[in-house]
Amino acid sequence: MKASYRWLKELLPALNASAAEVAARFTHAGLEVEGTTEYGAGTESCLVVRVTGVRQHPTKSGLRLVTVDRGGGQTQEVVCGAPNVPDPGGLVVLAPLGTHLPAKNLTIAPRNIGGVTSEGMLCSESELGLSDDHGGIIVLPMGTAEPGTPLSQAVPNVRDTIFEIGLTPNRPDGLGHVGLARELAALLDIPFALPATGEIAKTADIETKSLCSIIVEDAERCPHYGAAGAVDVTIGPSPLWLKYRLQALGVRSISNVVDITNIVMLEYGHPMHAFDLDLLRPANAPRILVRRAKEGETIVTLDGVTRTLVADDLLICDGEGPVALAGVMGGESSEIRSTTKRVLFECAWFDPRGVRRTARRHAMHTESSHRFERGVDPGDVARVLDRAVALTTTLAGGAATRGRVHVQGTRVAAEPEPPARKKVRFRGRRVHDLTGVDVPFAESAAILKRLGCEIVTPDASKDEHEVLVPTHRPDIGREADLVEEVIRVHGMDSVPAELPRIRASRDVGGREELARRAKEICASVGLSEAITFSFTSGRVLEVLGAPPPAVRLENPMAEHQSVLRTTLLVGLLDAVKNARRHGERDVREYTVGPVFLAPKDPNDPLPDERLRVAFAIAGDRPAWLEKPKPFDVWDAKGYATEIARRISGRPVEVVQASRQEAPPHLHPRGAAFVHVGGERVGAFGPLHPDVVDALELDGEVLVFEMELDPFVGGAATPKFTPIPRFPASTRDIALVVKDSVRAGDVEAAVREAAGPLAEAVRLFDRFVGGQVPPGHTSLAFRVVYRSPERTLTDAEVDAAHANVVAVAQSKFGATLRA
Amino acid sequence: MAQNEALSDAAVSIDRALTKLREGFMERFRAAGTEQALREEYAKVLGKKGELTAILKELGKTPASERKAIGERVNALKQEVERGFEQCLSDLRKKERLAELEAPPFDLTLPGRLPVSDGGHRHPISRVREDVVSVFRQLGFAVFDGPEVDHEENNFGLLGYPPDHPATDMQDTFWTDKKVLLRSHTSNIQIRAMKSVKPPMAFIAPGTVYRRDDDATHSPMFHQIEAFLVDRNVTLAHLKGVLAEFAERIYGPGTPVRLRPSYFPFVEPGAEVDVGCVFCKKPDGTRPGCSLCKHTGWIEILGCGMIHPVVLENCGIDPEEWSGFALGMGLERIALLRYGIPNIKLLFENDPRFLAQF
Repeated sequence: MKASYRWLKELLPALNASAAEVAARFTHAGLEVEGTTEYGAGTESCLVVRVTGVRQHPTKSGLRLVTVDRGGGQTQEVVCGAPNVPDPGGLVVLAPLGTHLPAKNLTIAPRNIGGVTSEGMLCSESELGLSDDHGGIIVLPMGTAEPGTPLSQAVPNVRDTIFEIGLTPNRPDGLGHVGLARELAALLDIPFALPATGEIAKTADIETKSLCSIIVEDAERCPHYGAAGAVDVTIGPSPLWLKYRLQALGVRSISNVVDITNIVMLEYGHPMHAFDLDLLRPANAPRILVRRAKEGETIVTLDGVTRTLVADDLLICDGEGPVALAGVMGGESSEIRSTTKRVLFECAWFDPRGVRRTARRHAMHTESSHRFERGVDPGDVARVLDRAVALTTTLAGGAATRGRVHVQGTRVAAEPEPPARKKVRFRGRRVHDLTGVDVPFAESAAILKRLGCEIVTPDASKDEHEVLVPTHRPDIGREADLVEEVIRVHGMDSVPAELPRIRASRDVGGREELARRAKEICASVGLSEAITFSFTSGRVLEVLGAPPPAVRLENPMAEHQSVLRTTLLVGLLDAVKNARRHGERDVREYTVGPVFLAPKDPNDPLPDERLRVAFAIAGDRPAWLEKPKPFDVWDAKGYATEIARRISGRPVEVVQASRQEAPPHLHPRGAAFVHVGGERVGAFGPLHPDVVDALELDGEVLVFEMELDPFVGGAATPKFTPIPRFPASTRDIALVVKDSVRAGDVEAAVREAAGPLAEAVRLFDRFVGGQVPPGHTSLAFRVVYRSPERTLTDAEVDAAHANVVAVAQSKFGATLRA
Repeated sequence: MAQNEALSDAAVSIDRALTKLREGFMERFRAAGTEQALREEYAKVLGKKGELTAILKELGKTPASERKAIGERVNALKQEVERGFEQCLSDLRKKERLAELEAPPFDLTLPGRLPVSDGGHRHPISRVREDVVSVFRQLGFAVFDGPEVDHEENNFGLLGYPPDHPATDMQDTFWTDKKVLLRSHTSNIQIRAMKSVKPPMAFIAPGTVYRRDDDATHSPMFHQIEAFLVDRNVTLAHLKGVLAEFAERIYGPGTPVRLRPSYFPFVEPGAEVDVGCVFCKKPDGTRPGCSLCKHTGWIEILGCGMIHPVVLENCGIDPEEWSGFALGMGLERIALLRYGIPNIKLLFENDPRFLAQF
């Protein structure tokens, strides 16, 4: 909402706060002034001058030399290129030497133009920042002012300070200057009175109700339709004060009658509409009918667009068809034109929800719908009509028709039934109860009165009051709303800061702590945290062989963000792809977050949100002083098992997936499941090469994804085992086996063969090539022997170890490596 | 041209060479066992010194009357060779892919490897999230979990958003095909908590939220933390006390806080909270203003207010007996300001060079 400081000063004669002070006060009361602009800056030094002579520039064909009278007998000649220099006698605007025009960032200095020195400039509106019209210089109506008068004195409205107020949607009263003035008066505690609607210069001997019959079919959507009329009007330009006031507020000046409807809207915040009565049908007995649209009915709105309507849209119709989309935009057929003689003004109160639905449905956000949606004042219909008619009789030469017509349901009368005011209970102490600030009731009452409330105290001995809420404040409906008004005006700065004594609550759900732990663990093993979008596309999920989406968006921003993920890998793989596109080959990232799966109960509209952790590693493995080598599946195993072990606090088992059961997104050679306590909780492996191709990942990626919800209770508590008191004996053994023999199987056999004295068996070397025959691998194990009761003798250890060799030979055909 | 017409010697020789090539090239391509070998064979036909290339060069020796017809035949064969090559290449790749997939499995009984590393990094949003959660935990708040996809009534209706009201414009929402929504704020947790737990309660709800916005300062997915306290005699002064504590701990000792009245449908009175700008703060505590605070000395950080009595009633809590406050903040904004990150998009691209900075 743009607001004029000059207008507020006119409405509040007692206002002596500066524009900056007004802005600060508004902002502090919740009407945030987001910006302030100086309209017409520079016009103070510009002068109204009279053209006394015009001649051709001696050398430049498009330019003329204009002699102007600056008043006081001073004349000067300036060069002017505008096409519309008036004949001698015409009034134009001169920016004399030294004038600074911020709109063009220009300071007027002597300029030599084709051999003629020009010491000043005749200005267009655009050069003065009054509008973006640069088609020609400003030509003022005859008699505007004596030559030499400063422009800002001749037409004060060319200079203003404009506030850009970011109104919250609960304050429709702030969408008009009267409402803003009332608010400002309340904030500054200065007097406020509603402005006069103005004298009606001339009244015609015609009854308004005889102009046109008005029928409201849908009184629910239009509880109040008011009309007034004017005849013998002459459509023409608006006077300068009106033109520049509108332009200062960002509204284009069109013609006197149209401008009147706009200025009245900006004054009261209540949109209105003007019909050319002679274009309403039937011509001999025009009619207005307020009704719902028929499905598929069309209207051409003022912007020239044909709109196809639905039955929920409310229409203003004449005897033959739609003439306006109620509360949103007028129609083309009955708009005011240059030939209009008779005008019917409409001021109505439309149901805000209905206007909003229509505006949204047709994607029309207008000044009118913006106000009606928020709820205009149902109590000012008569005032708004009177104001429009009075202005018409003074600015468009018309005569008012006699009386107004107000249709409120079945009631039709010249005066409206005033709308009921809400009655709200108010207890003075509730201000302190809710804000902690002691505001005496008398002060609260004064504040509420300044805002337009009426307060009734039935029993003076009790702190129980009734507040009648003014109709311009639809947002106030409860005691808490009144408390807010009081503290808002009293000042929130007065609220003290007190720490509450909080009775501690206990976590509900436990996922935040679980996620935090998982994130810390992943970071501690060397992975970096990614935060990935929950959105993806059905195609990507299909490529990954993930469950089909359980959540499809009805209004996605893009096709690739149209469903919610059923695997965390989508975002991580996006990160890999993006990194590689930027030339970064090495990625080690994890993410923790929910996937959105089909609900257990298919009738439940909410998905099953499951917390998971996932990582993607690609490129070279970090290493110390080594030639970089790419990550392989054993890195994925290392990260996956470490993460699972630390999250669960329990032993982790890796189960290689058979070809048949390998998850579709993983390479069948290296797909594995991670089990904790016998339950499958995750899977890791190299990405399937077809997936790498389909997602254009440009090279191998290893991934892991695991459920977190089973560990929401925290990691298992470690149990102490006694630290051995006796020394251990170690034996190393290197076995050469066929490549097809799995190291883990050999290790298990070694463990079993070594018997109860073997405390630990660890593979410490794996070697291929050299003296190891082709197709074979050398596996070296270290076996640690120990007894908890005594120191073992070499003989005992050797005996146990001899069995290891024997078993390895018989079970795997292993030979000892020399 | 009629076939029986006598051809020039050059033409006959070319014709013979073409026939020989046509009969032989596919066999040679198919015999290639690797992509490398296939490419070599291809080069022998169509490379610079290839057989077909050589034939093309002979074309000039044929009489002009025959050249067009022979030229066409040479070209036809050239295309045939190219198609054959593509076919063989694709077959070869399929074979290689199949061989790769069917190769003996990796021995995953070998121990896993945990590479040495300089340590991973936490995402800036997570860092902020945990700092904020920690402050509130120390004040006595606990975390209440809740879903990101929720019913309209938890996200709007019970929070006092009237249907078809412009207040919902403040949050352009994603809807699912099952007429539920992606929560547009973490305030849905207020409703879920107050419906399921009896007061007193002090909860925070950190989480992911979604709105249909996408520009330099908005992401369609972002993060918020909601905090709310419901007890007897809770006032705006308590809210301010908690905010002051929050500002001290997150923005540094002595950071001033101010409340500006504002509107959110689920609080009354409602306010926006500014903290003293941390960027232009001088050692003497003054704040002359800078571009980050738009020269006001204040930075807006969150919205808050006293929980609206309607919201309490909607959750079965008597507003005459209980009162409460709620506050909600965006984590991205805090992270962008704290770490000097210029664009919100950087937070979600997960570029390793970005993440490694935190």
